[in-house]
Amino acid sequence: MEGRDVPMDSKLTEDRVVEMPEIAAERPSLHLRTILIRYGFLALLAGLVVFFSLATRGFASPQAAVFILQSVSITGILALGVTATLVVGGFDLSIGSIATSSMMAAAYVMVVLEQNALVAVLVCLAIGALVGLINGLIICYMRVPDLLATLGMMFLLIGLQRIPTEGRSIAAGMTMPDGSTAEGVFSPAFLALGRHRFDFFIPNLVPASVVVLVVLAVLIWFFLEYTRFGRMMYAVGSNARAAEFAGAPVNAYKIWAYVISGVFASIGGILLAARLGRGDIASGNNLLLDAVAAALIGFAVLGAAKPNALGTAVGALFVGVVLQGLTMMNVPYYTQDFVKGAVLVVALVFTFALLGRNGR
Amino acid sequence: MEFSRRHLGKLAAGLLGAGLLWPAAAGAQDMPAPFDNPGDVEIALVRYLSTGDFFQAYLSGVEAQAKALGVNLRVLDSRQDAALQADMVDQAIALGVDGIVIQHGLTESMKEAAQRAVDAGIKVVAFDVNVENDAIPQIEQSDRDLARLALEKAIKDNGEAWKAGYVYVAGIAPLDRRNETWVEFKEKYQGLEEVAQFGTLDNPIANSVANQARSVVTANPDIQVMFAPYDEFAKGVKIAVDEAGLSDGIKIYSADISTADISAMREPGSAWVATAATNPAVVGEVSVRALAMMLAGENPGHNVVVPPTLITQEQLNAQDIKNMEELSQKLPQFAHADVAVPAWMPLPPRD
Repeated sequence: MEGRDVPMDSKLTEDRVVEMPEIAAERPSLHLRTILIRYGFLALLAGLVVFFSLATRGFASPQAAVFILQSVSITGILALGVTATLVVGGFDLSIGSIATSSMMAAAYVMVVLEQNALVAVLVCLAIGALVGLINGLIICYMRVPDLLATLGMMFLLIGLQRIPTEGRSIAAGMTMPDGSTAEGVFSPAFLALGRHRFDFFIPNLVPASVVVLVVLAVLIWFFLEYTRFGRMMYAVGSNARAAEFAGAPVNAYKIWAYVISGVFASIGGILLAARLGRGDIASGNNLLLDAVAAALIGFAVLGAAKPNALGTAVGALFVGVVLQGLTMMNVPYYTQDFVKGAVLVVALVFTFALLGRNGR
Repeated sequence: MEFSRRHLGKLAAGLLGAGLLWPAAAGAQDMPAPFDNPGDVEIALVRYLSTGDFFQAYLSGVEAQAKALGVNLRVLDSRQDAALQADMVDQAIALGVDGIVIQHGLTESMKEAAQRAVDAGIKVVAFDVNVENDAIPQIEQSDRDLARLALEKAIKDNGEAWKAGYVYVAGIAPLDRRNETWVEFKEKYQGLEEVAQFGTLDNPIANSVANQARSVVTANPDIQVMFAPYDEFAKGVKIAVDEAGLSDGIKIYSADISTADISAMREPGSAWVATAATNPAVVGEVSVRALAMMLAGENPGHNVVVPPTLITQEQLNAQDIKNMEELSQKLPQFAHADVAVPAWMPLPPRD
């Protein structure tokens, strides 16, 4: 634990107090276990990459690396958002439906209201922030438990996204409920968010969605680990009462976490709309489940045993590598959910059993 | 009804005939009983599924044909509540309607309710739900024909030997029926090689399928044809093929169509070259026509199949078709089906 924890002042003291005697007593065996805990999951990931590279054609290529990232970019962004709520000890079940509602909103703004890309993006972000704010207010001031509040919000949004079009999906040239034809189109600038590719050593390699994922991952990682605000969020999550006694505005931190989660989910929805080029009626439940899985797998990365942005990003990447690798090997789709579940269970066992034995 | 039905009916038929340039209305007197007084006839549409483009279009077809006949239509929508749908059939019986169209539902919940309606002397037809009753004709869109049309086009375009990627999820009735045709084709044409099979219904379906298809085309760069017999699948495959920059080397054949699909097929250089589809509005019209034939004492047959149409990228481009309305206008075979059309049957107006 020594070297790595130095910058994290708040954790340092309590960890030291608990672990000092043990470290002194059984250093050699603990050393091995520490390495296993810290790097085991990354080693597993590396092993899988090597395996798929040998087992399939085309896995070991820059293009494959990019589309694996692309396949998890949307769930990854949602997962980073839900990580923020996990950090404050909450949970957000509404992220999947925020994403699909924001996709519908983007399509509606452009196709029906005939607005440009910027307006569509701003409307989506505003919806995400507003829903997050409402979630936070309900949880903090109405004292509704987080799971229930966000579950309710999920159902509400699944219904709400259908109301403006009476249950129709939105596409350019669609027929409106009153029988007229929608005149607007998806603006090329908006579609570029999902389809433009940046040059990165190879021309036209990296899709915009991957860039967004990487930027957001770095931002939220820095925010949670190195800013006072982020550290306070961890403090609220580990012991809200203690944080409150220490004078922290606990509710404000929690509400901010839900706002972050909502905004991230709406960014995911924007990218989804840009990739599909239309607004699809969808519950987003699969997005929710995949995102939560990525965030939970992230607990096991580097032996963190707590929600953390780096782990979430690696968790999303892990799921992407496994699923895309299996698809390339022509493994049937139903086994993929099984494998996803198995990865999650192993990661959770890894986190809680191994770390538990380590004296926490 | 508090009016004199006979007078109201005549008045309505006369008004419609005069006001709407309704070709068959002039011959309303020629229609067999009970349609000599169509205002006296009341039919009910009892729906299980109603959300989505397909079901909206189906309803519009039912409404158009009911209007053409001049009969009264009641729409009862159970919004995917199987028990409520059965109750609604009883409600329709209590209202004393002359005929009922059952649209979707579960065999288990609808079988007895449908039998009660038949016992009450009400004529019943069923669309896409098997109510296991010899007195009730089944209206169907033929999934096997959909798949056959698309695959015949693929054979015509690419010869009898190619490497295919196939998108399929088992356990969904229409997809299973389409799969039977694919299996037959693979046996018939030994040159067809299925090098990869994938598919998922995780929603948004197109996005999930795109992720899978991207892996498949990378692992199997020799795939020439993607058979994706459901338009959401085809949309996902198209996204992946575009992202991989393989639009020139792969052709996509699918089933079903919507306005969004039309624009995807018409994008410059689109790999999505053909789809086979039945017009849901036509299926709605046929449902009402089959019911009307029964009310007039004729027999539409136990299985009333609405034939699908092959829609190709060339057709869409050549006729500059941008949405479903234009498709119906410019492809007459898509707009009409010569199914359940006895000589006396008035057809909805077409523009």
